[in-house]
Amino acid sequence: MMNPHIISVLVSKDLSLFFRNRFIAVITVLGIVAYLGMYFAMPGSVDETLEIAFYAPVIPPVFDQMKDSGLELRALESERAVKEAVKKGEYLSGIVLPTELMQTLLAGQKPTINLYFGPDVPVESKEAVEALVTELLYLQSGEQVALSITEHILGPDLVGKQISLRDRIRPMFVVFLVMFETFGLANLITEEIERGTIRALLVTPMSIKDLFVAKGITGICLALSQGVLFMAIVGGMNARPLVMLVALFLGAVLATGVSFIVATMARDFMSVLGWGVIAFIILIIPSMSVLFPGTVSGWVRAIPSYYLIETVHQATNFRASWDQVGSNLLTLLGIDLVLIWVGIAALRRKAR
Amino acid sequence: MNLKRVGILLGKELLQGPKNFILIWIIVAPVLISLIVSLVFGTLFTDKPKFGVMDNGSSKLVTSAQQLDSIITKTYDSVSEIKQAVESGSVDVGIVLPQDLDECIMQGSQVKVTAYIWGQSLAKERIVLRATFANLARGLAGQEALVEIESATLGGEGSIPWNVRLLPFIVLMAVFIGGVFLPAISLIDEKQKKTLRALVITPTSIGDVFAAKGIVGIIVSLAMGVVILTLNQAFTANPLLLVLVLALGAVMASEVGLICGALIKDATTLFAIWKVGGIVLFAPALVYMFPQIPEWVGKIMPTYYLVQPIIEISQQSGGWYDISTNVLILVGVDVLFLGMAVFTSRKAKRLIA
Repeated sequence: MMNPHIISVLVSKDLSLFFRNRFIAVITVLGIVAYLGMYFAMPGSVDETLEIAFYAPVIPPVFDQMKDSGLELRALESERAVKEAVKKGEYLSGIVLPTELMQTLLAGQKPTINLYFGPDVPVESKEAVEALVTELLYLQSGEQVALSITEHILGPDLVGKQISLRDRIRPMFVVFLVMFETFGLANLITEEIERGTIRALLVTPMSIKDLFVAKGITGICLALSQGVLFMAIVGGMNARPLVMLVALFLGAVLATGVSFIVATMARDFMSVLGWGVIAFIILIIPSMSVLFPGTVSGWVRAIPSYYLIETVHQATNFRASWDQVGSNLLTLLGIDLVLIWVGIAALRRKAR
Repeated sequence: MNLKRVGILLGKELLQGPKNFILIWIIVAPVLISLIVSLVFGTLFTDKPKFGVMDNGSSKLVTSAQQLDSIITKTYDSVSEIKQAVESGSVDVGIVLPQDLDECIMQGSQVKVTAYIWGQSLAKERIVLRATFANLARGLAGQEALVEIESATLGGEGSIPWNVRLLPFIVLMAVFIGGVFLPAISLIDEKQKKTLRALVITPTSIGDVFAAKGIVGIIVSLAMGVVILTLNQAFTANPLLLVLVLALGAVMASEVGLICGALIKDATTLFAIWKVGGIVLFAPALVYMFPQIPEWVGKIMPTYYLVQPIIEISQQSGGWYDISTNVLILVGVDVLFLGMAVFTSRKAKRLIA
């Protein structure tokens, strides 16, 4: 039987030791501040429009009528103004149409169109704008291509409300904050084992189960509080607060389970660092699937943190409900239980 | 400071120092991560719209699309595969081509095409892919271009590709993981095992110990920096200047490691500091990765003055004239950190006495 009183005493001892070291306490707060600083320094919106300036003595109707959410054609008063604006980076490209464009086209001749690009525009964007201008002029001349395209949008259509870079990186920052506690807790346990204090504790009425539960609660409290504080400040708790709270809790349990396993393999701080870094890097990988969608293949689902990152991403950026993230949370819970069980079993053997 | 004693301590550090997991990680981690980043992300971070095609026949349109530089074309064997690719964001638009596409287009008869669009794809990517697809179909139909297009770039510099944007992160990681952790861990370990006290009651001074550990950090840090730049084919122009900048960076990293080692009691605290310090040290790399972040964010971090000259030399073939100001600031930072390292070493001596 577990002894709640002993567990609470151990937890409060570990937490007070943590906060008694003012330096670690301050640095932990500063860590959150640093991540918050980076978050707010990142762009909060996405520019998804091709902004192109043009100059035409006579504006072709298709340029005037072109209204597409991905393209903004802005007429300027002269070729010089177009060049200046492009050079300053105000537009991706500048188009200068010749005076007698329409007459030349009607006469079946090939007019020359000048396109200007800024210095930072990559080759692929130049080719894309060339294709776009070519197509606009085909439309202007009335030359249709015999294609009937039926479009299906897969997933929520985010045109006009794209997820900003800062919101895509948010799950990564949360995982950083939560998973970093792996090192601290693993080191705490390793020190207890290596210094023999664990044996001293075990000669008291405290059982080994009490000890691990207490360490687990300490780790969960530290990881969870940092994750929740960060998410609360960046607005990550606004959409689905309860879903987020449960996800972060399970994430904190995951960090605790991983730290138990790291502590099992480690003999000193050096090896905590070594094994911890391996675990940390592996756990960070799934955040790439949110930051750069489509870049990571299906095997990423084999990494436990995927279910945390995906839930945080879905709940904060798409307001996903319990139904939508329930399977993720259940999977994460299952993984947590296995990791904690394996970790405690291995640590128990090591402690004996 | 006694050079002979520093030499003996240095030999001891190099031959009998940490031979454990951490040393392996200091060497392996940057190389491994550099390789992964170069191989995987070097080709993945691109602004090109991604176009998926599932061809029920054998259309020439697919070959034409694959030859374009403006888009990335991927082919799929079934409708379910292409839909899955669109849903995951592997492609922005996926098009299912009918078996007789080429014949129908050439005959001018109407062709029905199904397009799947990823909901998170940007509007500009959709419009580019639509125009490109129409252009390709016109090419199949034999329609001649109506206009001649002459493109010109205004201004001098070109865009920065992703492999270059990632280089600062890789370099900083290589220089700072070894440069900081090796001296810091070594000092903390000596303090915890009380061997530092044993050393300083001999004629060896605390300065000798710090110098030896600092030099080990500099050697490992510099070596890793050179290895990483070589792996990333950055040693093209001014190799000596590049090594000089790397050496100054290695000095900075090692000084940071010594300061941490002198002030910190245990490894847990070192990690707590790394949690904050890491983001401060790596902030200039983030600025290079995402140019939307204001440049001043990077400039207020000391590592900016290491990263900027390295990028200038390795990517823009810059010379001394181009980097001199930043290198002088880097020297200033090194001197400042040296002063701090000397100060903290004295504090450490008082503490262990």
